[in-house]
Amino acid sequence: MTVQVEIDEALGREYEAGFISDIESETFEPGLDESVITRISKMKNEPEWMLEWRLGAFREWLKMEEPDWALVDYPKIDFQAISYYSAPKSMKDKPKSLDEVDPELLRTYEKLGIPLIEQQMLAGIAVDAVFDSVSVVTTFREKLQEAGVIFCPISEAIVEYPELVKKYLGSVVGRKDNYYSALNCAVFTDGSFVYIPKGTRCPMELSTYFRINEQNTGQFERTLIIADEGSHVSYLEGCTAPQRDENQLHAAVVELIALDNAEIKYSTVQNWYPGDENGKGGIYNFVTKRGICHTKAKISWTQVETGSAVTWKYPSCILKGDDSVGEFYSVALTRGRQQADTGTKMIHLGKNTKSTIITKGISAGRSNNSYRGLVKMAATADGARNFTECDSLLIGDKCGAHTFPYIESRNPSAIVEHEATTSKVSDEQMFLCRQRGLDPEKAVSMIVNGFCKEVFKELPMEFAVEASKLLEISLEGSVG
Amino acid sequence: MSEWLENAISRGQKIDDWLNPKRSRALELLSTTKWPTRKTEAWRYTPLRAIQSTKATQLEVVSELTPLAIADLSAIELVFKNGKLDKSALSDTLPTGLTVSLGSELAAQQQLQAIADFSEVKPDRHLFGLVNDALAQDVVIVNVEAGVKVEQPLRISSLLSQGAESHTRVQVSLGEGAELAVIEDVQAEGETLNTAFVEYFVSPKAHLEHYRFALQTGTNVSVGGCHFNMLDHSTMHSTIVAFGSDLSRLDTDIIHSGEFVDAKLNAIYLLDNNELFDLHATVEHAMPNGTTEENVRCIVGGRAKAVFNGRIHIHRDAQKTLAELNNRNLLVSKTAEINTKPELEIYADDVRCAHGATSAEVDKQALYYLQTRGINRAQANVILNFGFINELIDLMPNKVLAEWIRPIIRARFSAMKVN
Amino acid sequence: MSDNKSLLTIKDVYASIEEKQIIKGFNLDIKPGEVHAIMGPNGAGKSTMGYVLSGREGYEVNSGTITFNGKDLLEMEIEERAAAGLFLAFQYPVEIPGVSNLEFLKASVDAIREANGEEPITSSELLKQAKEACKQVDLPLAFLKRGVNEGFSGGEKKRNELMQMLLLKPKLCILDETDSGLDIDALQMVAAGVNSQRSPERSFIVVTHYQRLLDYIKPDFVHVLADGKIVKSGDASLALELESQGYAWLETHKDEDNIEG
Repeated sequence: MTVQVEIDEALGREYEAGFISDIESETFEPGLDESVITRISKMKNEPEWMLEWRLGAFREWLKMEEPDWALVDYPKIDFQAISYYSAPKSMKDKPKSLDEVDPELLRTYEKLGIPLIEQQMLAGIAVDAVFDSVSVVTTFREKLQEAGVIFCPISEAIVEYPELVKKYLGSVVGRKDNYYSALNCAVFTDGSFVYIPKGTRCPMELSTYFRINEQNTGQFERTLIIADEGSHVSYLEGCTAPQRDENQLHAAVVELIALDNAEIKYSTVQNWYPGDENGKGGIYNFVTKRGICHTKAKISWTQVETGSAVTWKYPSCILKGDDSVGEFYSVALTRGRQQADTGTKMIHLGKNTKSTIITKGISAGRSNNSYRGLVKMAATADGARNFTECDSLLIGDKCGAHTFPYIESRNPSAIVEHEATTSKVSDEQMFLCRQRGLDPEKAVSMIVNGFCKEVFKELPMEFAVEASKLLEISLEGSVG
Repeated sequence: MSEWLENAISRGQKIDDWLNPKRSRALELLSTTKWPTRKTEAWRYTPLRAIQSTKATQLEVVSELTPLAIADLSAIELVFKNGKLDKSALSDTLPTGLTVSLGSELAAQQQLQAIADFSEVKPDRHLFGLVNDALAQDVVIVNVEAGVKVEQPLRISSLLSQGAESHTRVQVSLGEGAELAVIEDVQAEGETLNTAFVEYFVSPKAHLEHYRFALQTGTNVSVGGCHFNMLDHSTMHSTIVAFGSDLSRLDTDIIHSGEFVDAKLNAIYLLDNNELFDLHATVEHAMPNGTTEENVRCIVGGRAKAVFNGRIHIHRDAQKTLAELNNRNLLVSKTAEINTKPELEIYADDVRCAHGATSAEVDKQALYYLQTRGINRAQANVILNFGFINELIDLMPNKVLAEWIRPIIRARFSAMKVN
Repeated sequence: MSDNKSLLTIKDVYASIEEKQIIKGFNLDIKPGEVHAIMGPNGAGKSTMGYVLSGREGYEVNSGTITFNGKDLLEMEIEERAAAGLFLAFQYPVEIPGVSNLEFLKASVDAIREANGEEPITSSELLKQAKEACKQVDLPLAFLKRGVNEGFSGGEKKRNELMQMLLLKPKLCILDETDSGLDIDALQMVAAGVNSQRSPERSFIVVTHYQRLLDYIKPDFVHVLADGKIVKSGDASLALELESQGYAWLETHKDEDNIEG
């Protein structure tokens, strides 16, 4: 057996989160118009200003065109064929405690390795579990409240903390920002809201786990994290969906605000259903994530992307304040017929701002994996620095690995350095590993893990282990 | 569509000659082409205002200009004056094995070949390449027979007098094992517009040495291209030196159509005042075992704008490719601008590809070293900046050209407003 | 102690890099024509002193004074110090591709001549001097045309530094571990180059980790640098003592030395 065949086999492994939960849901008829948006807003008991905001975004969206510059190819999305709201019936009268939550829902999360019952919960991690269009439960809320930290579904925050939401929602990603973000502004249903007060170090890791279950629905989540002056928070995000033959749309918006001296660490392990080997089914993951750093603040994005049929995602930093720092660490693995176009934007506005971009793209099967990034040094960014390193690894000769970095500089004292390389898992490396007794799968996974090490070390411990395992699973069957 | 393009199309429609088959195709493509805007990726950083507002037109008068003197250079001169080949400038006795002819004057059989070759290397995506297809008054066909090594370089100069518009077109073929050096340059006076496209057909084992000097500045508008089709074991070494103008854009395409092709491209640009220069360099590795090395360096001062797009595309079959691109930029003014985008698009796994791009000030360590030797900061900056460019001048195979261009670049750099 | 005849007087200098204190109370007095060797373990601050004297960015003098040829050295720019006659031979000279050695030398010699009110050197005169200097340090003439230090081996870089020294004729040469990475032949050659430049008007600071170099360049004084200051001074025999005992004794004698001040 050739090494290539071995790698291919190793990569063919099944998607473990592909099960469907049998839950009775209340789901809107497919279709999108102002009345659908009004209904979503009503379901969430939103104030009038929120509805107006949504409708404004919708009207803008109607005037916009779907972006076509990414190196991804998929049939035109019929936005009228999607249902924009789906929630388990049991969630209608908000359960007051876990005991009231539908056991099937709890079982779903348990199967995914996210126990929501407090005794079994991972210590030190508070979880907001979002199921289709609603938040099922948010754990450890009381404990967080003691520290003054607000961690709740965004639908709740709109009602409970309207001043904070009004001030910051749409402040980083404006309603007209892009096609998918405009759509999200109009129809978002749930997501997480975080506020860390001045000088507070959040006592535990915060995380949101997104699950799409219902057929033909889109998930449009919205996350808003505000780290007040001198505060610190680490936030994790995970996502899965059942194995279905139809494509499903996930168009999220995440906004981060790091005020003076604050630090936000945002980690994602994205494992949406990628579709089958022939490209049937899978999630379209069209996501806008952006943060703004004020003076001496820091935002660090780390992502491990293994899922989705199509990924279109560029977590970015606007380095507005002097001495602020932006980081982007990414591992993106594509196999089968997956297509990923992902990267970041670092917009340097303040003096002595620094950014680091480290990306590792791994392409296998018949997939295409692109890094697309922008580093912009404004005329005001005296002494700013960027360092970018993009490495691609190709496994097999039917995939593609691409790099599209944009560098724009208007400041002579700013320094930008970009490097990109491409390599493959060499026969020599494979031979050595196997000569030392590793089977080809283990060998590839070890080599790939080594390739990704720089990024994995940025992940919180539990996630690093999960990411490494996920990579191993995703790689199974891809050996060459 | 823009008024300028509509006008160009209607002028093209009025021409009726031997190039009709290709012209009508170009006109058809043009009629469905959208006029580029900021949202058009290939023109993202390069606005076309200057082309829309230029008053340059196709003139009947012949330019009085003569090609720039290059000391010690003995070249075979091919001179275009306001877009028309000046046959009187061409030597009566060309080296054996080298022929230069006008497509319109070829025998029917050869003309068919010329038509077949026309736009075979130049990709259709170049909007102004299509304009050139439609408006080129004739095609100059240069042919080097197999095995012939032409000692003298061939120089193609395009001279434009005030108000002139010119669309020149050249096809250069090198037979198997042939060797030729080609120098392309432009001289433009005042408000002028030129599209200059050259297609190169390089046969197996042939070697092409290539230079393109785009030293025209001011209100000139230039959009042109150099396109190289490389067959098995052929080699090329190209050097591009450019200053900017109101709009100066060059597209190069190096196509590895055969195996074991070796291609080198070095580009230098020095921009000042309100100048713009945009280089779009594409390399297509369509076949295995090719190597490409590109070095692009630019210094931008004044309120100038530099644009670079360096795309390396490794096709599925192009295993064992080695491709490297290095792009370094120096900004020397607070009002200047650099936009650069090196791209890798790779579909083969057993390849070694890398690109690097930097935008920075001069190396601080080197600056300190020079200062410890008594040289003040400002002068040290000049020395280091020039050194940065000089490295590529040193790599020019033709030393006569290198010694000609070196002081020109130095003078331009010294006059640049550094702040 | 210093007097009017001193070329360089360093008084109680404290210096830091990125807020890290490296030099902690450094004192040294050098008269014209003297050769001082500074020895010490790794991390003692030997190279730092060279950078401080030459005025490298990021090396901050927190307190103390340095007088060079009667002038306040700390008030001078890097190139002004060079023009005043201070020359630093780098341990790791930087490569400057694209700038030829000869072009660099001309710029440097002219800058220093101009600062001293002299006319620029003619190209032919410079070439003549440069050729002689190359010969003296056994550097092939082709190196004059190559980029500064570009692709030079370690030994060639050191010779290139020395060649510059011969041309610039400084008053004070600081040789920063010029012996590191050299084989014995190269070492002797470097030493011969230095010795040929010894004169009553020219002083040297020879920074080295090993006694070896001092077999060939005889110092008038040897200083031991540890933890940012000179902990012991003596004549050439001190170097031999260090050679036999190593630097470990510094640890045991630390307190004692501190008391002695």
